[in-house]
Formats: sequence, C-alpha cells, structure tokens
Amino acid sequence: MRKSWLAAMACAVPMVLSGCGGSAPAGAVGTVGGAAGAKAGATIKIGSLHPLSGSSAADGQQMDNGAKLAVEAVNKAGGIKSLKGAKLELLSSDTQGKPEVGQSEAQRLIQAGAVALVGTYQSAVTTNVSSVAERNKVPLVIDVSSADSILKQGYKYTFRVQPSSTVLGTEGAQDLSDVAKAAGSPVKKVAILHEQGPFGSGIRDAFEAKAKSLGIAIGPDISYDAATVSDLTTQITAVKASGADVLVVSGYYRDGVLAAKAVNTVKPALKAVVGVADGAFDQSQFPKDTGKAGEGYFDANYHADMTKPAMQDLAKVYQQRYGEQIRSGAVLAYDSVRVIAAALEQAGDSSPVKVRDAIAKVSLESLIAQKGPITFGDTGENNNAAPILMQVQSGAVKQVFPANKAESKPMFPATP
Amino acid sequence: MTISQLSRPSSGASPDDGMTDQEDKASSHRPNFRRNVRRGAIVLILIVVALALAYVRSGSVAVVTQAVVTGILTGGVYGLVAMGLTLIFGVLDIVNFAHGAFLALALFVTFWLVNSMGIHPYLALAISIPVMFGIGFVVQRGVLAGAMGKPLENQLLITLGISLVIENTLLLVFGGNPRSVPLPHDHALPIFGAVADLSRVLAFVGALLLAGALYLLLQRTRLGTAIRAVATNDVGAQLVGIDTRLIYAVTFAIGTACAGAAGTLVAPLVTIEPTTGALFNIIAFVVVVLGGMGNVIGALVGGLIIGVTEQLGGLYLPGQSPLLSVFIVFVLVLFLRPQGLFGRSA
Repeated sequence: MRKSWLAAMACAVPMVLSGCGGSAPAGAVGTVGGAAGAKAGATIKIGSLHPLSGSSAADGQQMDNGAKLAVEAVNKAGGIKSLKGAKLELLSSDTQGKPEVGQSEAQRLIQAGAVALVGTYQSAVTTNVSSVAERNKVPLVIDVSSADSILKQGYKYTFRVQPSSTVLGTEGAQDLSDVAKAAGSPVKKVAILHEQGPFGSGIRDAFEAKAKSLGIAIGPDISYDAATVSDLTTQITAVKASGADVLVVSGYYRDGVLAAKAVNTVKPALKAVVGVADGAFDQSQFPKDTGKAGEGYFDANYHADMTKPAMQDLAKVYQQRYGEQIRSGAVLAYDSVRVIAAALEQAGDSSPVKVRDAIAKVSLESLIAQKGPITFGDTGENNNAAPILMQVQSGAVKQVFPANKAESKPMFPATP
Repeated sequence: MTISQLSRPSSGASPDDGMTDQEDKASSHRPNFRRNVRRGAIVLILIVVALALAYVRSGSVAVVTQAVVTGILTGGVYGLVAMGLTLIFGVLDIVNFAHGAFLALALFVTFWLVNSMGIHPYLALAISIPVMFGIGFVVQRGVLAGAMGKPLENQLLITLGISLVIENTLLLVFGGNPRSVPLPHDHALPIFGAVADLSRVLAFVGALLLAGALYLLLQRTRLGTAIRAVATNDVGAQLVGIDTRLIYAVTFAIGTACAGAAGTLVAPLVTIEPTTGALFNIIAFVVVVLGGMGNVIGALVGGLIIGVTEQLGGLYLPGQSPLLSVFIVFVLVLFLRPQGLFGRSA
C-alpha cells in the first residue's frame, strides 16, 4: 500500500502542480448560429484567448470582457465600413493559463475562421500562441504579456500593445529617480524584491541596468516563488538589515499584498515602496485589502489613462455591465481589438495576411496612458508604449507622474 | 505513532522503531534509550549547523531569527492543514486531493460570514467548523462511500473531481477577484528580536490547540477509540460491533472540519481566491508523508520542519524556489526513514 501511495503521488502531483483549473472550453458556444440567414462574409471573426479559469481567472475574464465591449462598440458604430458594414464577432476561448491549452485553442480558433487573435496574459502561453499564429499566417495582437523574448523570434505576425519588460524596467527607474530628485530627496540605494519567473527577473534586469547608470546602488536583490510564497517577513527583514532607502517590488497581486503586510510588520526605514509593473499596487482593490499599510505605495506600470473622457466612459460602461471596476488589462484587450478593427477598415479586406500588413501600418489613439498613438515598429513592439507612475493616496490609486498624465501630485518621500 | 499504532497499548517498539512512546520510556530499554540520545544529539547538531550556515549566508542575526520565527509560525499552519489530511489517510486510506479545495471553501465561508454578517473572524470558527464537518460527512456518505475498499486510484480520481467541482463552483459564484478578511486590531508583536503579526501568532496557537484537541479526541474518548480500532483493523472493529461505515463518514468529516478550522484561522493571512487552497495542497502532502502517514502529531512536527526549512532554504539558496530546499529535506528524510519521521515501519 505504501508503494501505491507513492505511485499515486507521483502521478497526481504534476496534475496538481499544473493547476487543477480544468473546465470545458468556454468558446464552444455561439459560433455556429451565425451562418443561417446571414450573408456570406457578413461577420468577421476575431479570436480572444485568455485564462478564463484557473488562478488568473479574474484578470482573464476582465480582458475577455474588454475585448467583447470593443467588438460591441465597433458593431454599434456601423461595423467595418470599407467591408460594407461587416460586423465583428468575438470567439472567446479559455487558455486555462496553460501553454499547451493556449496552443490548441489558438489552432481551433484559426480553423473556426478567426482572421486575427488577441491575448493572452501569461508570457508562456503567449509564446506558444505566437508560434501558432506565425505558422498559420494569422496576426496575433498581444494585449498583456511582457516577456522580451516573445518578439525576439523575428516573427512577422505578432504585435504587442503593452510595454515590454525592458521598457517597463527602464522607464520605471527613470520615473523613480525623477520624482525623488524633484522632491529634493534623491534615492541612494534600492533593494529589489521580485518574483523569480521570467517576468520578475526581466523587470529586475532592466531596472538594475538603468538605475546603475543613474547612480543608484542596488542591493540586496531578493526573489521568491510567486506560486507558493505565503510570507515575506524574512525577506523584508533582510531589506531592513541592508539599509536600502527604497524598496522596488515586481510581482503579482497576492504576493504584492504579502509584501505590503510584511513591510507594515517589519517597518524598515524606507523612503518609499515602488512597484515596477507590479500586479498589486495599482489595483483599486489593493488599498482596500491592505488598509493603511498600502498608503503611499508607488507603481510604475501601464495604466488606463483616466484623464481621457473616452476612457472614463468605458470605465462607466464596464462598471454598469459587469459590476466591477475595469482594470488596465481589460483596456489593453479593448485597444487590441480596436487595432484589429482599424486594420480591417484600412485594408478593406478580411484575409489574415492583408490584416497583418494593415496592422503594421496602424496609427491609433490609445486609451492607455502612453507617449503617443499606437504604432508598431519592425519587431512588432508598440513604439509609444510606456509606463506611468501611480500612487496610493487616501485609499485610492492616483496617476501622479509624468505631469501631463497626473491626477494629483506625487508624495515623496512616502515612508510606509 | 500512527493512529493504528496508538491502539496497541504499550506493546513495545519494534527493534527498528526509533521514536518510542511514553510507555516504552517507562520500561526503559537501555539500548533504545542510548540510541535516542544519539539521535537527539544528531538532530541538535544539524540544527546548530543549519543556523550557523544561515548566519554565514545572510550575515545578519536579525534575518536568521526572523526566518526561524516566521518558519515556526507558518509551519504550525502547514501542520494544521496536514492534520486533517493525515487523519483521513490513516483511517480511510484515501488520498484526499480535495483537501485544499475544502480549505478554500472554508475561506469563502469565513469571508461571507465576516463581510455579510459582520462576525469577528475568529468567531466564524464556531460556524465554519460545524459547516465543514457537515459537508465532509455528506461528501463521504454520498460520493466516497461507494469507493471504499476499491483501488486507490478510484478514490484519488473522485477526490480530484470534487476539488475541481468546488474550485470552479467558487469561481462561478464569487468570481476570480481576490478578497481579504481583515482582522481588527491586527498589529506586529516582537518575538525574540523578530516580529510577527498577531494574526499569525493566533493562527499558530490555534493550530497547537486543535492538534491537542484532536489528540485527546483520539486518545480519551469512545469515538476516538472506535476510530483507532477501525484504523487498525476494520473487519475486527466490525466484529466487536463498531459501525465502521459511520466511523468512516465521521472521520472524513473531522478531517474536513480540520480544513475548515485551518481555513478560518488563515483567512486574515492570505488573499482569498478559489485556487488559494491549492497553495497548501502540495505542502500538506509533503508534510503528511514526512511526518508519517496517519500520524496527527507527526503532521504538526512535519509542518514545523517544513516551515523552517522553507525559510532557511530561502537564505541558503537565494533565487531558488523555497520548494527546492523543502524537497531536498523531504528526500533526505525519506531516504533515512522511508516510513516518515513518526511512521511505523512496515
């Protein structure tokens, strides 16, 4: 019996490790009925690949909702005019956050007639989906996935709207340095706490390189496993012992909350805690979950530009429809679908290859705070993508830097 | 001591049984005693070496102290989660993959009680424990009873299925957004130069109390005697008039209630999502096997070891998953004692 236990464990642990989040593919509904009665070529299908179940389900559902709202908005405005008002149809699909599921779902959506794909949130999933897109010559517009490596393959059919980790880390370091200098309290030594995957270490590399060139010392550099971490007190004690004056954090939501709790417990002598592309510090939920502990936290991240009226309208619509606040991920999905719609309009043709060529030439005003309209460079990166600095002020996340995107002034130092 | 072993009144340890009972100490076998002293010394030396190494790697006493305190506190919680799991395995021979999902369910019950009814997070224990007990009873009777005595894979797949149903139902009902249960007046407590949140200390104390209560239940009550009898030999238990089917259901319910208690106690510490239980699942299985399958006290000790290992491992091997050090210790222990620390050799 002991042997059978071990055998059972050996085969079951990988199943649990891979995240038990299985469920039927959600995209299986709603793609068939359209044929009856509708004119041939009257609807154009766009595939949406996001983690609708599993541990990133909340973000995945937000992004799928964002894509749906974009399709509705385009259809309401008369569809694709250069294609006789053809309507868009969104094929939603659940990647479960697993690369192999994402890959097979991408294949399925392409076979179902999708002319372009948007997705997928996790860099590992996106990597697989982008290779499927390349092979089938169907464009993929990445809404969220920061890993630099995805667009270093020389792919022609993959485009990314969100800033890459290099841009996030570099600009994050610059923004922090600028804000601190403007406040007359320059940063001397930064401790970095990051999740150990490609996302966290990618941000760490970029941040470290830029910070050093700005004359900021780095140390210690501490990583943790975001999937299993249950306490960060020891790590924050090490930060306290190091005498760093700013803590930079790069991770996901749950571990970001743990970091804030640990900082509140250990009370290191810091001028500020600054997230760089952190998944927690700029979420509206964060101040509620941490209370006073999270007050004054910065995050340098891509963010919906709440100073734009169109964005405020979208936030209202989202709140009404889905009963929760829209996140920047959903806005990126919204923008990605708009990119595809604009390309269709420009191409006047719904073949994937023509759509790809049109996407490469697109210039579209974004609802995300960035340096200019969305345009893509040779590698497929969004030329104007950039993070902005946000801060938790009086229990709400505010845009604080650069000045032209600011809702209020940055408070620095912001001793936690 | 495994559950079944507890039922053998001072039968004396088998020659290769290192961990002696109280009764064995009373009869004081000389060679056994000496071996225990030797083992104790080895353990002590290992601890000193581990701490010295941690100091060398981190260069700060404060960091090492913090790592040990945090490790012990989180270890208590791991032990608490593993206790229910080990009880179910010891008596029902079921590898319960739904344990983490039951814990997640208890988290949401606690969240709902605190948010909608305004109950203090710890008072929620009075509701979450009986609720989870009831759910465990119904699940065993309704779903698992038919698979009792069948091959291990059958039960394993059923519990895996239950966990999928629970997690995805929670996702459907509550959505995937993270939630939290704040503890009023939570603050940092100084402990030997380190600090810990009051909520963590209380979760640890709660884990110790529950372990004690469970131990007493198994040792001092008629129900406990019956459970131990079924664990030792269910046919024999049936012959002396014990309703084994009832005992199976009750034991599963007690195990689930442990997950319920653990869920409520950790609610202020964690971010509550439908998949939160999976966080504890792997660690809990490691703890169960490490402590000796079916052994409640072993689960608690195993939890503490894993908790401290995880924290010190983070200092030794920065940049690696803490699970790496956990599994190194796990493999070492199983190599030296395949039956687990407190397990009876087969």
